[in-house]
Amino acid sequence: MTKIKDPLEVIGRSKGYSHEELLKNLHRHSSYSPAIKRQIITIPEAILRNSGTQMAKKINRMMREIFTEAYRAKQFTRTEINNRGVLLGVVSLKHNVIDLVLIYFHERWPECVICLYNEQTRDTWVIDEKGAIREFHQSLGEVVEKISIDRRKVPYFEDIQFSGEEIFETLYKSQFITERENKQYFKKMIPDQCYELPGMKNGVEKHFRNKKLNDFL
Amino acid sequence: MPSTLEKIRVLGENSKYDICASTASSRTEKYPNLFGDPKKSIGNTVSAGICHSYTPDGRCMSLFKTLYTNKCIYNCKYCFSHSCKHKMSFSPEEYARTFMKLYSMNVVEGVFISSAVCGSADQTTEEMLEAIRLLRYKYNFGGYVHFKCLPGVSEYLLKDAISLSDRISVNTEASTKDYLSEIAEQKDYYNDIITRQRWLKQIRIRHNEEALKTLKDLKKDNQLKEQEKMIKERRSDGYKKFRWDGAPILNCGQTTQFVVGAAEHETDWDLLKRIDWGYRKIDLRRAYFSSFIPIEGTPLGNKQAAPLEREHRLYQSDWLMRIYHFKLKDIEGVVTEEGNLPQGDPKIHMAREYFKQHRHVNPNEASYQELLRVPGIGPISAKRIINLRAQKFAFKRRQDLRAVGVVLKRADPYILIDGHSQTTLHNFSNEDYKETQIKEISLGR
Repeated sequence: MTKIKDPLEVIGRSKGYSHEELLKNLHRHSSYSPAIKRQIITIPEAILRNSGTQMAKKINRMMREIFTEAYRAKQFTRTEINNRGVLLGVVSLKHNVIDLVLIYFHERWPECVICLYNEQTRDTWVIDEKGAIREFHQSLGEVVEKISIDRRKVPYFEDIQFSGEEIFETLYKSQFITERENKQYFKKMIPDQCYELPGMKNGVEKHFRNKKLNDFL
Repeated sequence: MPSTLEKIRVLGENSKYDICASTASSRTEKYPNLFGDPKKSIGNTVSAGICHSYTPDGRCMSLFKTLYTNKCIYNCKYCFSHSCKHKMSFSPEEYARTFMKLYSMNVVEGVFISSAVCGSADQTTEEMLEAIRLLRYKYNFGGYVHFKCLPGVSEYLLKDAISLSDRISVNTEASTKDYLSEIAEQKDYYNDIITRQRWLKQIRIRHNEEALKTLKDLKKDNQLKEQEKMIKERRSDGYKKFRWDGAPILNCGQTTQFVVGAAEHETDWDLLKRIDWGYRKIDLRRAYFSSFIPIEGTPLGNKQAAPLEREHRLYQSDWLMRIYHFKLKDIEGVVTEEGNLPQGDPKIHMAREYFKQHRHVNPNEASYQELLRVPGIGPISAKRIINLRAQKFAFKRRQDLRAVGVVLKRADPYILIDGHSQTTLHNFSNEDYKETQIKEISLGR
């Protein structure tokens, strides 16, 4: 006779995700299959929430991967805006979370058209002022050009048509307090894999990641 | 004439000891929008902010934080203004443009504008406000703005600042008048700082009452109902019960900052008393602490830096007061004779004191306040325990507690599960335990 798992072991209610949340979001994962969906329905919510079985563990891991990827994209995508109110940037998304990232930028720039090029799928995704999302199988430059033609120049976007990288680098360096240096914490907040993201590859943060030889001398 | 880059370098460096950790805002679409049509404004502060970068000490760098000017009429002994030879100021247009550029790059979430006092507090504040007005009305920025008020600024300018910002702060710097005059002798503690903090509270309340009255006139509008419902819900949750009043303006309230360890004999207890006063009297949302770090060329340049751990303990105690709603007198019990917090987590010290006189906590019977006394149980896990009990669930094993988020390694010595509690080394040093042992030995057991 198989031992029945104690239901109390999976009692925590605030952990994990509900059935609805899983069904709504899990399809975004790159290794999602309909078989997983069928399994989700059969597993009790308490077990799912607490990673009570191997399958539940896998499902929770998949959900975590989805939301982490979307969050990192919101954090570390570096964008620029042209004088016609088109905001553009490059992302590298393995999972299908581009809509979450687009909506995030749309809320910040409601009057602009947002164009994000996904390095993984080599597509450009666009969200317009009304919140409609479209996919283009073209490069970012082509899409931005096409969209910009029909748009008027916006004076306050024209005001900020200058390079900002150096400004950010200067600001970033100016905020550093040597006495408070904490490399371990820094690495925890920006883990290694974040430097693979398109916005962070040449980020100023990278220079501070490891000590230079001179620091030891 | 210094370039913008040079200004950012110098003024950014001069502001690096100013602390700001939050970009979260409780503003929602339900509130009347102060800066035009929300659908058109740039910057979304409805949800909690995202950190776009971290400095090498792990601090989140989410705001455009520089001084507006570093020309100062004050001579504070701990301040960079003594040593910094390069004096410069932004122009409002330059400040606003630079910020908008950074915002468009997705490297910052909002603005933290602070300044030295150039000419007079009013004169500098006027210019700072001009920069924020440009952001709000020319660039249409509806995002997060933290405005640092200068000591001695006039009330009418505070009103303007409040109407343009999400958060306002006046740096208290020290806990009492005497300590402040020790480190910044030109500043008048009560007039320049405390009075301004009181004004901020009054202006905010008055403004909010008027705004809510205006809203009531729009009774046909569903907005009002939704807003009232939300305020009610929040209050019933006990969420920041006495500090959050559903404010349509200055929704992030006022904060303050202290320099820890600059004044010679200032103790942690002095600081905690001042914060407690702030929470009760001026609706302070939270306090920040900045450990004193000597800056070369200043009168305190040779003074020893305050340990960062001291700052950490103060934050922990502040957290207990602010989030756990512990009373100041609860913390008083663990403060040392010198008036400082002991090494180690204040909550653990408090628990050791408390449980000398009280029994172990039984999660099946304890009240919410009792549960909060236990290290490893926070407000969230305490609420979960209470909720589960309401559903007739009984905690019979340690694992049940772990499942609701209790950190057992900290909680174990103070909880009673199924009639059992853990014995720790601490119990052996406990006087009662020693007495029992002695009795037992003398009885020949």
